[in-house]
Amino acid sequence: MCVLCGKDFVAQVHWTDRHVEDRARASGPGADPVEYQRDRRRDRIHRAALTNEVLGHYGLRIQEWSGSKYVLRDRKGRTEIVQDLGSLWPAAENLSGRPLDPLDPALQASLSGSDDAWDEK
Amino acid sequence: MKRPVTVVTGFLGSGKTTLLGRVLSKPSMKNTAVLVNEFGEVGLDHHLLRRTNERTVLLGSGCVCCTTREDLVEAMLDLLALENSGETSQLERVVIETTGLADPAPILFTIFSDPVLQHHFTVDLVITTADAVNGALHLDRNPESVKQVAAADKIIITKTDIAEAGAAQALIARLRAINPYARITEVAFGEVDPEDLFRPDPSGAATGSLGDRAGTDQRFLEGPDAHDIAETHSVSLTFDGPVDWTAFGIWLSMLLHTHGEDVLRVKGLLDVGEAGPVVLNGVQHIIHPPQHLGSWPDPDHRSRIILITKRIRPGEILDSLRAFRCMIGAKPRLLEDEHVTTLS
Repeated sequence: MCVLCGKDFVAQVHWTDRHVEDRARASGPGADPVEYQRDRRRDRIHRAALTNEVLGHYGLRIQEWSGSKYVLRDRKGRTEIVQDLGSLWPAAENLSGRPLDPLDPALQASLSGSDDAWDEK
Repeated sequence: MKRPVTVVTGFLGSGKTTLLGRVLSKPSMKNTAVLVNEFGEVGLDHHLLRRTNERTVLLGSGCVCCTTREDLVEAMLDLLALENSGETSQLERVVIETTGLADPAPILFTIFSDPVLQHHFTVDLVITTADAVNGALHLDRNPESVKQVAAADKIIITKTDIAEAGAAQALIARLRAINPYARITEVAFGEVDPEDLFRPDPSGAATGSLGDRAGTDQRFLEGPDAHDIAETHSVSLTFDGPVDWTAFGIWLSMLLHTHGEDVLRVKGLLDVGEAGPVVLNGVQHIIHPPQHLGSWPDPDHRSRIILITKRIRPGEILDSLRAFRCMIGAKPRLLEDEHVTTLS
């Protein structure tokens, strides 16, 4: 933690976050920083919304927090603060007390409810 | 510009050092640094040769592939310092030779996660050597060999000159069954053109191309059973439309969290609805920083993803992606299906 700005030093960008960073770098130094922040924020909110579709099956919920962290909650009100998808899954496993497995047929059945809705679109 | 790193791994006694010895003697290799773990019987003579004693630091998660190789960090920082002080000319490439029993994943993890190294080096190629004489035996007895083959972008078959007739072909068939997309080359006495050996094209991480078509078409004719060797499966997938990159990231990161050690390799191009595809390349938990290309490298603009797994059946992957399709935005489909129907 930096004593001046109160932020964590994040030396490692998770691979799922790379595209926003890369896009910002590619647009060069003259690019509009507001545009980058808007892009990044939009991406984070979209990620939180999608992740909640999976986490709902385990009684968990994630919320984007001021563009820097995600807050993970269970139904008892316990919370964990996570940095990215890399640290989300171990934290979620910890809170739910069971492995989060995308190959689990029960999770797949719960997701397929929304799948039917998708088919009807 | 990051300096390219080539990881040379391979079965015990399969001729890694012989291969490197021959290649490094060429004048064009003078700005290539070499990091070796052990000095074998064949002495290597090169001015930028460094010996490292494997020293691993296991991280909190306890997962073997997410270990940091401290010795490599030290040796590579040393090379950077030499270059910056002007004692050596600019490094064109670093070659890391692993021991015969090494899993290549920790090397990739070290380079991608170290706060300094990640900005100066990038792994563009993993070369695995397999010898035609004992290769099959290693595959039977040594689970690390299967990991080495799965992690490879290029496989070099050595000792073809002393192997029995047909042994090399039988080994190639087995290697292809484990990793259908690696480029396989036969080499005798380490005689290989360094330019050709270290060129990431056509199946390197830099381009993300999925290997030569001739090889893959042959594989499709063999039928799905031919892919399965001792619990190792490979599955090639495509999607019926552009995928949501964020959703795919959620699915893959979740899969790697739970089954990382059983996903030996992920590789491919993903259509995310932009002008070019995303290049995806991963070995176990370790995913190369995905590149978003400005345009497609070939006229085929479909997503193409291959997963090499241990214990996880292709059907399970497909079922899971089908369940996630409401998030991903496209239906997954086996690539084989299409080829079989067009071929029959």
